[in-house]
Amino acid sequence: MELVLKNKYSSEFIREERKGYLFVLPALIFMLAFVGYPIIYNFILSFRDVNVTTFSQAIKPFVGLKNYIEVFQDPTLAISIWNTLVFTLGSISIQFVVGLGLALLFNMKFKVSEPLRGLMVVSYLIPMTVTALLFKFMYSTSGGIINELLMKAHLISQPIGWIIDSKTSMFSVILTNSWVGIPFNMLLLTTGLSNISSTLYEAGKVDGANVFQRFFKITLPSLKPAILSVLVLGFIYTFKVFDLVFVMTNGGPVNSTELMSTFAYKLSFTQFSFSKGAAVANILFAILFCVSLGYLALIKEDEVMG
Amino acid sequence: MKKKFLNLNDEQKNIVLCCVSIFIACIMLFPIYWIIVSSFKNNAEIFTSPPTFIPKEFTLESYTSQFTDKNNIVVAFFNSCKVAFTSMAFACILAIPAAYGLARFRMRGKKLFIIIFLTTQMLPVALILTPMFLVYKNLHLLDNLLAPILSDATISVPFVVLILRTYFLAMPKELEDSAKIDGCNTFTAFTRIMLPISYPGLIMTGAFSFLYAWGDLAYSLTFLTSPEKRTMTASIYNFMGKYGIQWNAIMAYGVLLVLPVVLIFIFLQKYIIGGLTNGAVKG
Repeated sequence: MELVLKNKYSSEFIREERKGYLFVLPALIFMLAFVGYPIIYNFILSFRDVNVTTFSQAIKPFVGLKNYIEVFQDPTLAISIWNTLVFTLGSISIQFVVGLGLALLFNMKFKVSEPLRGLMVVSYLIPMTVTALLFKFMYSTSGGIINELLMKAHLISQPIGWIIDSKTSMFSVILTNSWVGIPFNMLLLTTGLSNISSTLYEAGKVDGANVFQRFFKITLPSLKPAILSVLVLGFIYTFKVFDLVFVMTNGGPVNSTELMSTFAYKLSFTQFSFSKGAAVANILFAILFCVSLGYLALIKEDEVMG
Repeated sequence: MKKKFLNLNDEQKNIVLCCVSIFIACIMLFPIYWIIVSSFKNNAEIFTSPPTFIPKEFTLESYTSQFTDKNNIVVAFFNSCKVAFTSMAFACILAIPAAYGLARFRMRGKKLFIIIFLTTQMLPVALILTPMFLVYKNLHLLDNLLAPILSDATISVPFVVLILRTYFLAMPKELEDSAKIDGCNTFTAFTRIMLPISYPGLIMTGAFSFLYAWGDLAYSLTFLTSPEKRTMTASIYNFMGKYGIQWNAIMAYGVLLVLPVVLIFIFLQKYIIGGLTNGAVKG
């Protein structure tokens, strides 16, 4: 029996494999057709000239690297890459720090900890469009609650144009995105925390470690796998954010919140230069691809790959 | 301060922690309170300074106006339902067997398949949007609800596959072995034994597939052009462009858009939270 199982290509294996393929292939074919094919199509598109006049013609002229050269000459591309990085790193750091703080708080068992923690997840589930509009309202200069409260507390003398001022707009969208991401970070880190054995802390106390020593020497090192996955997932999910910024600022004012995703959308569906939109989307893809490779290497040890 | 806190007895500590966490939760959840309160105010009260935390004049005007409007909310609601339910059903029909296949059968290329699902889950909408727009145009599927349905399913299929795979892996294999002895074949062992006992996982992944499609803006806004085809997310976006700062009306629309999400959350809370923590760490 052992021998048969070890032989990978025994008839039993082939039979099992066939059944397995029957289960897996429909989903796989669907994904290859609706995601794999578009990626290839996008790649081809970026080397052709497809705009509002040529896109219904059968033959689309091949233009080589022209689209890439043109988008690289457009200063907006560099701005959008920089903004995407700022947006991503800013959001991840805020939601990670706050999420970790909340996870530590809710990990102390007290009466309302469970239901409250559950309740906070709601902000993660609300459709992004609604979140974006809600914060747009709260940030607004007339009737916006944030300005009203700050003025009431005499912290500012006149309303700040949170998302209509190019100096504060990026900060404001980062804050909104963090509000969405905090519960997600909190939940994952709570799971990580609950896996740390309490005997470690008792041993630490016996050895005379204070609260900070216990946090840095026991909590953080034991949380490392959870922290890594939160950060990488946070990076991937934030890097691709589109609706939030699209609805709140649409990249403005003066490109101050233009992300690669909103820039690609604008090129394709406002200016109808589909090839240039495809080129920008490909650059975004290339960056994400590198990060994904890193992520895959990270979870290689995990059971998911087993 | 620190010493004092540590010297409190358990009961006092409990009270302090409760107060602190309730205070934090109030700040975090304030925006949700605000959207509800604002939707019951009239347009003048929205702009009064200082703002009122409880509507002085409680009005349902923002809600009733949604139903009398020419492009009324009912059409958009049914479009959203059609998109979300069909997309959910379609994604589950494809993804549940795939998850089972990847969990239970030995096969060549398994690692590659898992990597394909993992990476497609990470792809930005913006990458797929332009090529899919042209593909749907060629297939004459633009302005057809099928376009967002199919594209939304590309988000939920990999999610369902990866989460349910770990779920199935955790189930004892002996269950199916004994089912087979009792006369089940591979397929009936899957449908009669595995599916019923893994219902918490199915409910969770189903709920998320629904929520993804329900909340999607990019696909429905890009692929659906005529107003009567619009989903709720696309309508509220257009609504903002048309009416600008009628915040009470926009907030009311937002509340109606969030309502199904809140209902799902209330009824399926334990599945959703369990699923979030499980799936995301592993997948």
